[in-house]
Order: sequence, then structure tokens, then C-alpha cells
Amino acid sequence: MTESKQSEKRTLVEEGTELKGSLTSTCPVLVRGRVEGEVTAPALTVSPSGSVSGRAKVGELQAEGELSGEFDADVVQLSGKVQDRTVIRAKTLSVQLTAESGKLQVVFGECELAVGDPPPDAPDADAKT
Amino acid sequence: MANLTREEVLKKAGLGESFDRADLRGLDLANAVLEGVDLRRADLEGANLEGARLRGANLRNASLREAYLTGADLRDVNLDKAELEGANLERAKLDGANLSRANLDGANLTGASLKNARLTNAQLQSANLGGADLTGVNLSHADLVEAYLGGAKLVGANLRNADLTSANLEEADLTEANADDAELGGADLKRARAKGASLVKANLTKANLVGADFTSADLRQANLTGSKLGANLTGARVAGVITAGASLEGIVADWVDDSRDGDGSRRVSGVAALSILSGKAPAPSVPPPPRGQAVRYFGQGDVLRNATLEFGEGIKVQIESRFEQCSIALGRGAELTVGKAGVLAQCRIEGAGNITLHGRFFERESPGIVGPGQLVVTSEGQLVGTVEQAPELTKFAFEPGCRLRMKILRARSEPDQVRTGKGKER
Repeated sequence: MTESKQSEKRTLVEEGTELKGSLTSTCPVLVRGRVEGEVTAPALTVSPSGSVSGRAKVGELQAEGELSGEFDADVVQLSGKVQDRTVIRAKTLSVQLTAESGKLQVVFGECELAVGDPPPDAPDADAKT
Repeated sequence: MANLTREEVLKKAGLGESFDRADLRGLDLANAVLEGVDLRRADLEGANLEGARLRGANLRNASLREAYLTGADLRDVNLDKAELEGANLERAKLDGANLSRANLDGANLTGASLKNARLTNAQLQSANLGGADLTGVNLSHADLVEAYLGGAKLVGANLRNADLTSANLEEADLTEANADDAELGGADLKRARAKGASLVKANLTKANLVGADFTSADLRQANLTGSKLGANLTGARVAGVITAGASLEGIVADWVDDSRDGDGSRRVSGVAALSILSGKAPAPSVPPPPRGQAVRYFGQGDVLRNATLEFGEGIKVQIESRFEQCSIALGRGAELTVGKAGVLAQCRIEGAGNITLHGRFFERESPGIVGPGQLVVTSEGQLVGTVEQAPELTKFAFEPGCRLRMKILRARSEPDQVRTGKGKER
């Protein structure tokens, strides 16, 4: 499950693998398959073939696949799909405008984004999250 | 001296005879009636023509050097290339006269009336035009270096390319005058009235504009280096104006138009306006739109409340103001950019336009943004509210540093393509 690529160790959920339950790692986690449950790691990468459903608490989240559930991260980069009933909380969020011509970079379902400090003069800011 | 007496002149004039090249130097012709008389190339140096009636006379190339013409009626006369150096024309009536290329250096025209007179390329160095009525006069390319025009009325005057270096225009009325490309270096324009005047590319280096009224004036690309700019410049067009070393003490500029074409498409208010006039304007947070594009600009410092605004297809809307409880409808392809200073508080945006948020948006009621084709929140943007996507899905972009408390909803009529995760990407 853990692969070593040059000097960096990563926890890999390979394509065709489905993991249900809780995954806690001190290494970055790369998901090419499917994870349902809880993920705690310094970094989580979801490849275009991967999906994570459940809860994740990570330092960095880079997602090109599908996300569903609650995600807490310091830094988030999105370029995949965000499913309904998903909440993403982050210090910073980066979403590019376009990928390939005619394609959306991110397809958002019904979700919530709480990014950065609450805007200073937004009295209802907390209620929005 | 003159080879004709006063009586002979009056008799010949009565007979309609010509005085072409006549020697009339020093002759006393005070109050003489010489209307329509041919005086071309006549020599009237030092002649006394006080109160004389010369309306419609032809004085082309005539010499009137040091002549005394106080109160003379010179309406519609032809003084083309006439020599009037040092002449006294105090209170003379010169309405409609042709003084093109005339030499009036040092002439006294105090209180004279020159309405609609033609003075193109005329020499008026150190001439005294204090209190003169120069309404509608054409002084293009005229030499008015060190001329005195204090209190003169120059409403609608044409001063294009005129040289007014070190001229005194204190309290002059230049309303709607055109002084494009004019030289006004060191000119005194204290308390001058220049509302709506055009001074495009004029040189106003070290000019004194203290207390002057330049509201709605066109000062694009004017050079005001080292000037005293304590004037009212509200509504002035100021794109490209140069103000290095200018003193802004006493300046009033509620807003200025910084659009390149002076078409009002880039209104800048408050501190930003003063920043432009001080030459210290920061790079605009909203880049100027391409020429010819329909643009609606709401400048910094403005506050708009309870307004409903509709912008059609292809229109660019740039907001640096504060909008409160406003509803904005965007046609397909319309572009709404909220600049860094822009705040949309308790507002709603609806329609298939594209939204770029450098500033702040707070919704009034959910959803605050409905159906945008594209929503970009840049690194300094802030959004608090709910976004209902367009039926074809909204394109989102978020830059690191943006601050969001937002919900994203699918369009009410959208096919169920995302809910299941099996939907087709667009």
C-alpha cells in the first residue's frame, strides 16, 4: 500500500482498489481508486480516476477526481468534481478557470465552500458555513 | 506729415473716394465718419481717431502704429495685416473685425469689444486686453505672450495653438473656450472660469490655476508640470494629464473622467481622483476597456442604494463603488467586474453574464447570485452568499487568497447530472 518513489514515500490506493473505513497516514496519500470513510494525512491527492467519499483532514488536498463529504485542508487545489452535500473548508483554494477547451475545470454539485478568514464585514459569515 | 487735411479727408470720404496708400499720419480725425471707406495701405501712424466711425472700412495693410482709436467704431473692419503696434483701442468696438496677422504688440484694448472678431496669427505680445469682450473670437495661433487678459470674456473663444506664455488671465471667463495645444506656460489663471473648456495637450507648465473653475474641462494630455493646481476640476477629463511637481493645495475634484476618449466611461472619484491629479495614481485595479466597447463604470467613492440595474448583452460593467441593496441583471455575455474598491452589500446578481470579483460581494437573500456563465473570485475577492449555477453549469475560478463563505446550488431546471456523479462533463 505504501510506495516509495525516489526519496518520497506515499500511501497509494491504486485504481481498481476500493477502501472502506479509516485511513490515517503520516505520508502523503494518493488515491487512484476509491476511498469511502475517513482520511487523515499530511497531503491527499485524488487522481482523475480516483474518488474520496467521507471525511478528510489533510494539510494539502489536490483533487482531480471526485470529492464527496467533508474536507478540511490548509491548501486545496481542485480540478475535478465536487458532489452534492460536500463541504470544503480551507485556508486557501485554487480553481483554474478552464482546462481543455469546452470543458469545465471543476464541476460543482450542491456544496459549501469556506475559504480563508471570514470576510470582516460579513455579519452572517459563520452562518454561511 | 499728412498730405491731406481733416476737411479734405471728410470731403473725399463723402464722395466715396479711396485713400489707398494715403499719408494721413498724425491727422486729427476724432469722431470722423469714415464708414466703409477704402483705407488700404494708408498711413495713419499717430492719427487721432477717437470716437471715429469706421464700420466696414477696409484698413488692410494700413499702418495705425501709435494711433489713438479710443471708443472708435471699428465693427466689421478689415484690418488684415494692419500695423497697430502701440495703438490705443480702449473701449473700441471691433466686433466681427478681421485682424488676422495684424500686429497689435503692446496695443491697449482695455474694455474693447471684439465679439466674433478674427485674430488668427495676430501679434498681441504684451497687449492689454483687460476686461475686453472676446466672446467667440478666433485667436488660433495668435501670439499673446505676456498679454494681459485679466477679467476678459473669452466665452467660446478659439485659442487653439495660441501662445499665451506668461499671459495674465486672472478672472478671465474661458467657459467653453478651445485652447487645445495652446501654450500657457507660466500663465496666471487665478480664479479664471473655464467650465467646459478644452485644453487638450495644452502646455500649462508652472501656470497658476488657484481658485479657477475647470469643472468639466478637457485636460487630456495637458502638461501641468509645476503648476498651482488649486482649482475645481470636478468632472474634468484628465487622461494622460502630466502633473509632476504640481501643487494640489486647494484643489477640488469630486470626480474626474480618466477615460482615454473623454467619454465618461471611466469616472474616478475621491482619493483615486486626487491620486490621478497628483500623478501618483496606482495601476488601476480594473484595466481600461478596449476602445469602442460599451462600458458602464461606477467610480470609487460613489454609493448606490436600492437600485435596480440591467445590463444587456456584451456590456462591460466596472464597479469601484459601494452598492447597497441593489439588484443587477446581466445579459448573456455581459461582463461585471467588481474592482478592488468595489463592495456589493446586500445585493443580488442575476443572469448569464460573467462575474469577476476583485472586491466584495454579500448577498441580500439566498441565492444572491443566479445563473452566471462564469464566476471568478480573485486573490483579493470576497464572497458571502449562495450561487445558483446556470443550467449549463457555471464556470468557477478561485485564486489563492480569496475569502469565501459560499454555497453552490445547481440550477433549478438543471438535469440531474452531478447528483449521481455520473453526469456528463461540459
